[in-house]
Amino acid sequence: MTWGLELASVRFGTRTALDRVTLVAAPSTVSVVVGGDEAGKSTLLRALVGLVGLSGGSSRRPPKSEIGYVPATVGLYVDLTVEENLAFSGGAYGVTGQEFAHRSAELLERIGLADARDRLGGQLSGGMQRKLAVAMALLHRPGLLVLDEPTTGVDPVSRSELWRLISAAAAAGTAVVATTTYVSEAHRASTVTLLDQGRSIATGAPAEIVDAVPGKLGVVRSAVQPRGLSWRWGTTWRLWSPSSVLPEGAEPVQPEFEDAVVIASLAYERGV
Amino acid sequence: MAVLAETRRVTKRFGTFTAVDAADLAVASGEVVGLLGSNGAGKTTLIRLLLGLLRPSGGDALLFGVLPSMSTRRRVGYVPQTLGLYDDMTVLENWSFTAAAFGSARPVLPESIRDSKDELVGSLPLGLQRRVAFAVAFSHEPELLVLDEPTSGVGPLSRARLWQDIRESTEHGAGVLVTTHNMEEAEQCDRLVVMVDGRVAADGAVADVIGSRTVVQVTCDDRRKAFAALEEEGLIVQVQSDALRVPGSPGQVEEILARHNLAATVATVPANLEEAFVSVVTKGTHR
Amino acid sequence: MWAMIVKEFRQLKRDRRTLAMLVALPVLLLVVFGYAARFEVSNVAVDVVGPQAEQVAGLLRAPFQVVDVDPAAGKSLVVSRLRDGDAAVGLVTGQRPFLVLMDGTQLFAAQAAEGALARMTATGKAGGSPAPAIAVRILFNPKLKTSWIMIPGLTGLILVFIGTLITSLGIVRERQSGTIEQLAVMPFRPWDVIFGKIVPYLLLASLDLLVIVVVGKVLFGVPFVGNVATFALGALLFLLVTLGMGVLISTVSQNQGQAIQLAIMFVVPQVLLSGLIFPISSMAAGVRWIAYVLPLSWYIDIGRGVMLKATPIKALVEPLGVLAGMAVVVLGLAMLRFRRDLAPSVRGGGAITADPAAVPS
Repeated sequence: MTWGLELASVRFGTRTALDRVTLVAAPSTVSVVVGGDEAGKSTLLRALVGLVGLSGGSSRRPPKSEIGYVPATVGLYVDLTVEENLAFSGGAYGVTGQEFAHRSAELLERIGLADARDRLGGQLSGGMQRKLAVAMALLHRPGLLVLDEPTTGVDPVSRSELWRLISAAAAAGTAVVATTTYVSEAHRASTVTLLDQGRSIATGAPAEIVDAVPGKLGVVRSAVQPRGLSWRWGTTWRLWSPSSVLPEGAEPVQPEFEDAVVIASLAYERGV
Repeated sequence: MAVLAETRRVTKRFGTFTAVDAADLAVASGEVVGLLGSNGAGKTTLIRLLLGLLRPSGGDALLFGVLPSMSTRRRVGYVPQTLGLYDDMTVLENWSFTAAAFGSARPVLPESIRDSKDELVGSLPLGLQRRVAFAVAFSHEPELLVLDEPTSGVGPLSRARLWQDIRESTEHGAGVLVTTHNMEEAEQCDRLVVMVDGRVAADGAVADVIGSRTVVQVTCDDRRKAFAALEEEGLIVQVQSDALRVPGSPGQVEEILARHNLAATVATVPANLEEAFVSVVTKGTHR
Repeated sequence: MWAMIVKEFRQLKRDRRTLAMLVALPVLLLVVFGYAARFEVSNVAVDVVGPQAEQVAGLLRAPFQVVDVDPAAGKSLVVSRLRDGDAAVGLVTGQRPFLVLMDGTQLFAAQAAEGALARMTATGKAGGSPAPAIAVRILFNPKLKTSWIMIPGLTGLILVFIGTLITSLGIVRERQSGTIEQLAVMPFRPWDVIFGKIVPYLLLASLDLLVIVVVGKVLFGVPFVGNVATFALGALLFLLVTLGMGVLISTVSQNQGQAIQLAIMFVVPQVLLSGLIFPISSMAAGVRWIAYVLPLSWYIDIGRGVMLKATPIKALVEPLGVLAGMAVVVLGLAMLRFRRDLAPSVRGGGAITADPAAVPS
């Protein structure tokens, strides 16, 4: 049983937040949606879990009791302790008694908060809060886990711990959909969807997206921004040409996934 | 290159908790310094000490060579994580307010944000809000810019544009202090300062911070399985185009993979910044 | 400094709620102190009974207003009519001395009546006729104590405070922290969420109510002579109205500040115009209708009646009915709006009212 959106559109008044986007969430896989701010990532997830109605297209999702959702605003209670937050989630999803004790202990161990049961949610660091929120969403072993920018603003160490949690959930059979602005995280996914202003401009496995990059990519080592479609890359510049010819001074280079994302946006803007 | 701001073994205690412990930090004109560290490592406290918003419990914090004061505050542009803009005023109104507050003659709105001058800040997309915040902070031509996570939550193209703005400002002689969690961004800095538990654990150019650290590069047919096996052992795995990278020694990694019946080739390669950062931070801290 | 002033003005001109308050509150206060804030009662409802009823009734002038003349009836009818709140003063003729019974819970009416009687006997004396023997008896609140009539009203004030202000803050806090989105995705029905939020406050308010009644009795000697069940019913219905108001306010507020503003605009008029302080009967006719629209006014009727006069439930059908009606309307509206927040329609894209600028899209 797979879930997702098919040619889904969402309109708020005259503004089209989502335009005929298709997203597939299959069990035991991780699907990552990448895009900048205003790309429509949150709207996409909200449409998937049913917080927002569709103006077109269709959606498929399991009943509420089988969904786990963590919004971008973290969504835990800062004036409740770690234990109390989990208990609330347990009560809501019907995970109580022995099963709750067992499952919560397991999750707390995984996220490193086993000794912090009585700490208030508001006293946890940003990374810890996110981990707790994800644990709360995993308590009932949902069939579909939906995470809105789970790693934004989180330090690299906590970030990888979060992904470990997420990968473990997928390995156990959950279908995971997550959005991110960190392009490098898309490597962990089996399917990546690139969103730009509400449209899906590329979708597929990371390797497929890189292979599908049109034109030619080059590196320019200069102090001044070269002319043409270029962007800074560390201490050098990346230069992209829609044709197969690079201007002078640019050394050809194989695109990495991060390049593919930028190129896809530029190509889309130019109707390539 | 004049030193704009520096701390000399500065310490800050809140009751029994030491937030910053004998930290040395310096920002000179024309350079971009990146401040890295986990949440709670003391980055924000250090910045507030530098800006004179907190008084040190020990050591010194100097702004333009003297103790921070009203007059030195005028020469600093600060963009906190929450942007410091008024959501319910337009871009132009925010601009005028800051210009009036700092007593600068009304300079012209920069081109990059001129199109949205009459829009309420609260209605703009995040990337644009951040560019406005930066422009507003720079409007009175400060000599030192302090930016707290300037591109958090922003897409790759917007991020690149914002960094272009930052670089341009250094070309005018300003010094910039940036805190970030994004390694791509950290790589754009001239110098990095890594904080762990209130102390400065590493300080230098990107190459210096990486030092001679190495990681193990793993090429395996069944990449997914290898990934899972390594993560399960508690290793932090990074994915490159067609290889995996883990900290540790080749021997260790081979042994783990063998235990899971996976055939792979392993090689020692230099670490990248993210791996170096993780190694600096987790060294000595128990998880 | 000038920059700060300009900025504040700019922000203010976009803040419609604060502007509304700046305009509405002075208007309200003007109305209140111009037309409503009076202690002098110009209109005392009088029953006259006994054999000489018609005669005596003819002699009565303002502020007395004769509402019933019944020569066949006696003291017992007067007492029950006072208890039911149908009259403020009763004259029992046909006995020496005349019996004048007053409803002590209508403090200012009683005072006005006393004053008028004194004037009448004085003019009579001046005119040469002997003063008829009059015995004045004040029922229900014999010492005309202010605390006795304030405390039942105070119970209502607490219920309004907890019911509306605190409930709305509790719900808005969830909206502000973004956890309402998650509640909408969890397997809760909208009713679960609303009642889950309301019930703790309901219980707390009831507890507070109990405490005040007890303290009133112990410290001020305020009696509780009526039917507890009737009182409880009145309190419950009133609570439902105020709680419903709290939920409603939370559905139109994005943050706690806005919720407080709306709650204030709901509470302040009730404090001033519900008969808690200034008697409704002394309000100018043009503004008296406001009192009838405020739930607290009806509750005070019930509270004072049951606590001080042992008014039976059948005499309180009107206030109870009005409160019940208000509860149905307010709660119904609140449910509808809250439900829309938690379970948007499948068609049309109704979005959750979280602050869109704070959440990246």
